[in-house]
Amino acid sequence: MGIGFSSPVVRLTHVSKTYYRDRQPVPVLENITLTVESGHYLALMGPSGSGKSTLLNLMAGIDRPTAGRVEVALQDLGSMPDRELAAFRARNIGFIFQLYNLIPVLTAYENVELPLLLTRLSGKERAKHVMTALDVVGLTDRKDHYPRQLSGGQEQRVAIARAIVSDPTLLLADEPTGDLDKKSEEEVLVLLRRLNQEFKKTIVMVTHDPKASATANRIIHLEKGVLVAAPE
Amino acid sequence: MKFLRLIARNALRNRLRTFLTVAGSGFLIFVLVFMQTALSEMQAWEGEGPQYNRVAVQHSMGLAQWLPIGLEAYLRGPDIQPHAKHVMKLNWFGGYYQDKMNFFANFGADHAHLRDVWPELVMADDAYAKYCAQKDSCLVGQSLATKFKWKVGDRITLLGTIYPCDIATEIVGTFKAKNVRQEEQLFFRWDYLDELMKGRRIVGTYWLRGHTPGDIPKLKDLIDTHTRNSSDPTETFTEKEFGQQFMAMMGNIQGLVVNLGFIVLVIMVLMIANTIAMSARERVTEIAVLRTLGFTPQTILLLILGESVLVTMTGALLSLGLGLLLFNVAHLSPAPQFFPYFLIKPATVAISLSAAAVAGVLSAMVPAIRASRRKIVDGLRQVV
Repeated sequence: MGIGFSSPVVRLTHVSKTYYRDRQPVPVLENITLTVESGHYLALMGPSGSGKSTLLNLMAGIDRPTAGRVEVALQDLGSMPDRELAAFRARNIGFIFQLYNLIPVLTAYENVELPLLLTRLSGKERAKHVMTALDVVGLTDRKDHYPRQLSGGQEQRVAIARAIVSDPTLLLADEPTGDLDKKSEEEVLVLLRRLNQEFKKTIVMVTHDPKASATANRIIHLEKGVLVAAPE
Repeated sequence: MKFLRLIARNALRNRLRTFLTVAGSGFLIFVLVFMQTALSEMQAWEGEGPQYNRVAVQHSMGLAQWLPIGLEAYLRGPDIQPHAKHVMKLNWFGGYYQDKMNFFANFGADHAHLRDVWPELVMADDAYAKYCAQKDSCLVGQSLATKFKWKVGDRITLLGTIYPCDIATEIVGTFKAKNVRQEEQLFFRWDYLDELMKGRRIVGTYWLRGHTPGDIPKLKDLIDTHTRNSSDPTETFTEKEFGQQFMAMMGNIQGLVVNLGFIVLVIMVLMIANTIAMSARERVTEIAVLRTLGFTPQTILLLILGESVLVTMTGALLSLGLGLLLFNVAHLSPAPQFFPYFLIKPATVAISLSAAAVAGVLSAMVPAIRASRRKIVDGLRQVV
């Protein structure tokens, strides 16, 4: 994509999001302006209902703002039709969920391969990418295991492999350690830190956990849909 | 093709449910194949096509009425002979061998003309000569002989159902035919039947073979006009028309089969729609995850449709395989007395597979569209 270090990977400009419940407007995000530079590791903190996940969904292009502009990798997501946006997500964004969200009927290998099915890579090329991603998360020996045969920490590492397999510009993680025990949490945080430092991945992580946010090189807080710590 | 594994794994997610759906759709396709084959077998009664220029003369009141022997003289006379090179008497005997289940086509035939009127029946000359020389002899189709393990020289008895007599006859030869259904016949001699009927000289049908196709309308016109004002008026049919009247006796079978086929398709669509809707509902979050990874709504639609078509096609292929094994390989028939052969035709296979594919697509269309159009964030929020 030609995004160099210190160029913005994410740029939110006056972004607001309002949901409607029984026709009553429920503002979730209000006038957010935020920039995430390439190679940064940002922790997004705040209490439940503060709008963290909504903000992450807007960055991922799986939800659209009520007002404002969302740019990722210099592309205005708001101007993209759904089909184009889906292709953009496949190429540029890796998403890590709190509950891993692996497909239970597929093996670890097949789960990691999923984003590559949308590319024109041959089976051989896909295999190479999948094995590289599994190697990064240290699970090549578990490639034929189904999610039910893996621990929570291993499942999340497979989910991280799935998120990085297409070498995306941006990694978005929604409470990636929220469902893990201490040891697994530690492993996942070390892995994310390594992806940021060694592989120069730009990461935005939503978390409640101060220990998790400590691994990031920038922390911002959201409260009631408003940024309370000014972005750098 | 790269999505096939995902489609197959999703289809096998709930094995019992998938098994029941495959079994259900397979059963319904089997019903469709069965009806279609019954229809095509009935249509096979329509005879051997126009190349033999045959016409059948029967009583205008139907096959249950006899024709007078006196008509034969007219049919062999100067009015008809320029248009017909061969004439023969043929009486449907309707007997069975040992058990009523052993029912097949058996006739009292005019032995001197059998070969002329049905030249497609291939038999040895000496067998035919014996048939002509021995009054209580018969000729048997090869397929029928194989079925009952009969051999030349065997004496068998056909038990009468229409006539008040039984036919004790000796097999003097077998014949073959291109159309294997023609080998499911037995011809004993008309004069032998007449002897057992104490010389009542009754004739079921006369069969004539014209010189050219142009003779057929002339024969129909001449014969029916000649008998119009007699006590035994006739109706003369082409071979195809003669066969079709059996279809007509059974009413609008074709219409019935089409209607039943439609009902089968509707039941199948409803049954599978229920399964696919359940399956899609259970996977709302997974579908949202796939969309997050970059799968488009169109790809999701294709995955769900593919799953449905896979299930219906598996059912169809299994039922067709079973049907081909039972009917085309093992030559079993659900009603041997009516259908000596019950062969599934390639067209039936094509129709059934198409019906399964259409049912698969139709049944999954609504749940697939709903699943593919659901907002990703709603899907991720959903707790199933």
